[in-house]
Amino acid sequence: MPQEYAINYGAVVLAAIVGLMAVLFMFLTNYLLAPRRSSAIKGLPFECGVPAAPFTWSQINIRYYIFAILFLVFDVEAVFLFPWVIIYLKSAPIVFYEMLVFLAILLFGLLYGWKKGMLEWQ
Amino acid sequence: MTLLHTELLSAVLFVIGLYGVLARRNAVLVLMSVELMLNAVNINLIGYAAFTDPGRVLGQVLAIFVITVAAAEVGLALAIILRLYRNRGTVNLNEINLMKW
Amino acid sequence: MPVVNLSLLLPEFLVAALAFAVFAADLFMRPRQRNVLSVVSAVGLVAIGVFTYWFLQGKSESLYNGVLKIDNYSLFFKVFFLAMGVMIVIASASFVKQYLSHPGEYYGILLFSVVGMMLMSGAGELLTAYISLELLSFSLYIMASYARDNPKSNEAGIKYVLLGALSSAILLYGISMIYGATGTTTFSDIAAALRNLDAVNPRLLIGMALVLAGLGFKLAAVPFHMWAPDVYEGAPLPVTAYIAIGSKVAAFALMLRLFGEAFLPAIDQWRMLVAILAALTMSVGNLVALAQTNMKRLLAYSSIAHVGYLLIGIAALSPMASTGLMFYLVGYSATNMLLFAAVIAFYNKEPRDDISALAGLADRSPFLAGAMAAALFSLSGLPFFAGFIVKFYLFSAATHEGLLWLAGLAIFNSLVSLYYYLMIIKQMYINQSPDKTPIRVSGGMAALVIALVIAVFVIGLYPAPFVDVIESATRTIFPATMMASY
Repeated sequence: MPQEYAINYGAVVLAAIVGLMAVLFMFLTNYLLAPRRSSAIKGLPFECGVPAAPFTWSQINIRYYIFAILFLVFDVEAVFLFPWVIIYLKSAPIVFYEMLVFLAILLFGLLYGWKKGMLEWQ
Repeated sequence: MTLLHTELLSAVLFVIGLYGVLARRNAVLVLMSVELMLNAVNINLIGYAAFTDPGRVLGQVLAIFVITVAAAEVGLALAIILRLYRNRGTVNLNEINLMKW
Repeated sequence: MPVVNLSLLLPEFLVAALAFAVFAADLFMRPRQRNVLSVVSAVGLVAIGVFTYWFLQGKSESLYNGVLKIDNYSLFFKVFFLAMGVMIVIASASFVKQYLSHPGEYYGILLFSVVGMMLMSGAGELLTAYISLELLSFSLYIMASYARDNPKSNEAGIKYVLLGALSSAILLYGISMIYGATGTTTFSDIAAALRNLDAVNPRLLIGMALVLAGLGFKLAAVPFHMWAPDVYEGAPLPVTAYIAIGSKVAAFALMLRLFGEAFLPAIDQWRMLVAILAALTMSVGNLVALAQTNMKRLLAYSSIAHVGYLLIGIAALSPMASTGLMFYLVGYSATNMLLFAAVIAFYNKEPRDDISALAGLADRSPFLAGAMAAALFSLSGLPFFAGFIVKFYLFSAATHEGLLWLAGLAIFNSLVSLYYYLMIIKQMYINQSPDKTPIRVSGGMAALVIALVIAVFVIGLYPAPFVDVIESATRTIFPATMMASY
């Protein structure tokens, strides 16, 4: 057992060393080759192409939250798909259609929100 | 690692969450504390599934359902908190006191 | 994978389909047409109720190895919940039109909550029970905060959702402990495991205590009741009625099956706990109700007190107590529905919810005042009304099980409650109001109120047919050996 452990972890350590060296190499070449000119705009934190907000503690627009809620719900409900993928081929055909019903309900929810204007940015 | 470890971890997490619910005054933080309690439940379920249940399936299935119901609960609660914030301009539970006794 | 006869779930599927149809119709209707959806929902629920009664009668089966049970017990509650849904829709119709926006979503969510309640009565497994409970609770959270721009309604919603989330976390922790102790979540397997455990098992005890606490939150049993008055006061009136009646009956439908089918072998370990909970709940509910000036808050405390009486049925768990409990649920729902329908009819004409607003109601609308007085007498348990006979059944079951002190306390509490119910009647019949304009009641509401007055008297004077139906429901959740002595 200990040897097996050592061998398995040895592979991990080896991969870590190789990875670390690759990263260091890239940073080093970048450092040696890159031209360096700085300006005020370049010093700004990057924020998805939008000009950065004035303060770090500025409030996030409340509209983001609605999308966050929608994302959260639809994202997490998809967790039922993973166990289903593993068993549905071995199960009775009804299991397949049960999941289709579930997805249809999710889809209905999305379409309902869409028609009600949930996805509009205002 | 034994069953006792997971049980202790989950109990500690549950109590921390309960403390948060009782002590925090910001609605969003109260909600986060409740989520902590639900995660304690998940650890408990997975622990029991791994150490006591030979099939190991039931506990994991329960945990998946707990996760999804918790997500729906957060979505709903956040929507209500958002509505409250728009009407009252605060999410501090001490200031939400139109009704007493 | 065993083949499951899904057609037995047809009633639930139909209600869910009706809900989706209402949502879809709401999308394509012009705002003014949307109030028609109340008619669609009511008619749909009536049709499904008749269908359910015809379709499920005499069927007894358990789906997915005991996860969902189709039996007389669940049939009784399914028809009960569908009828309740119809009444709430009728009671909501003109209120929603006057005071709330988005009627389509209101009725759709109401229908989803009916699905949740129906599944609760059939759940034979802890996770299923929990998920159907959450389907009901989520719908109620939304409905409690439905008056979007009313800060009180927002406040009710946030208090309800935060404490509801806390209670479901506690309930789930209890479920996980029970799973850890017994290795299963199916009710019948839990009962079998309990019979085999000889020593006291701390995991199991903590689990049962936490499940009891979680359900206590949902029922608003003291000391888990602090959310109830605020939610009742802030929520729109028909929603208050729904929380007071629907959520209580559904939680007891779940609790009775859970305690009867799963926890019964360990009755000695939890009986005292539930009895103390019942005693606390009825006493605190009644004593605090004495001091209320707001009608909705008064009804909140009165419903807390009634939860106390109902918990006696769990503490004295036996076939007799179970029959008493279910009968009490019928009487309580009919009476409370009557009271709320009358209050809503009044509120539709005059949006005030303090008790003094009812002054002189006997002159302004003898019909509403009479209906309210009948409901209040019934709630306090006076003879000839439903409230008396159901209390009689429940309390005599408690004495039968040796809980004489609890029954005595409950009778004393009923006398206390008579005081504050009579104060409302005094407002209506003796106090005068400067405003003498008569109050007109719309046709639907009048029909609902008349039907419920008749129901309250029929239950009070001729209970035999109800008791027969309920006994056949009781028979399915208790082992045959216990029924033999009944």
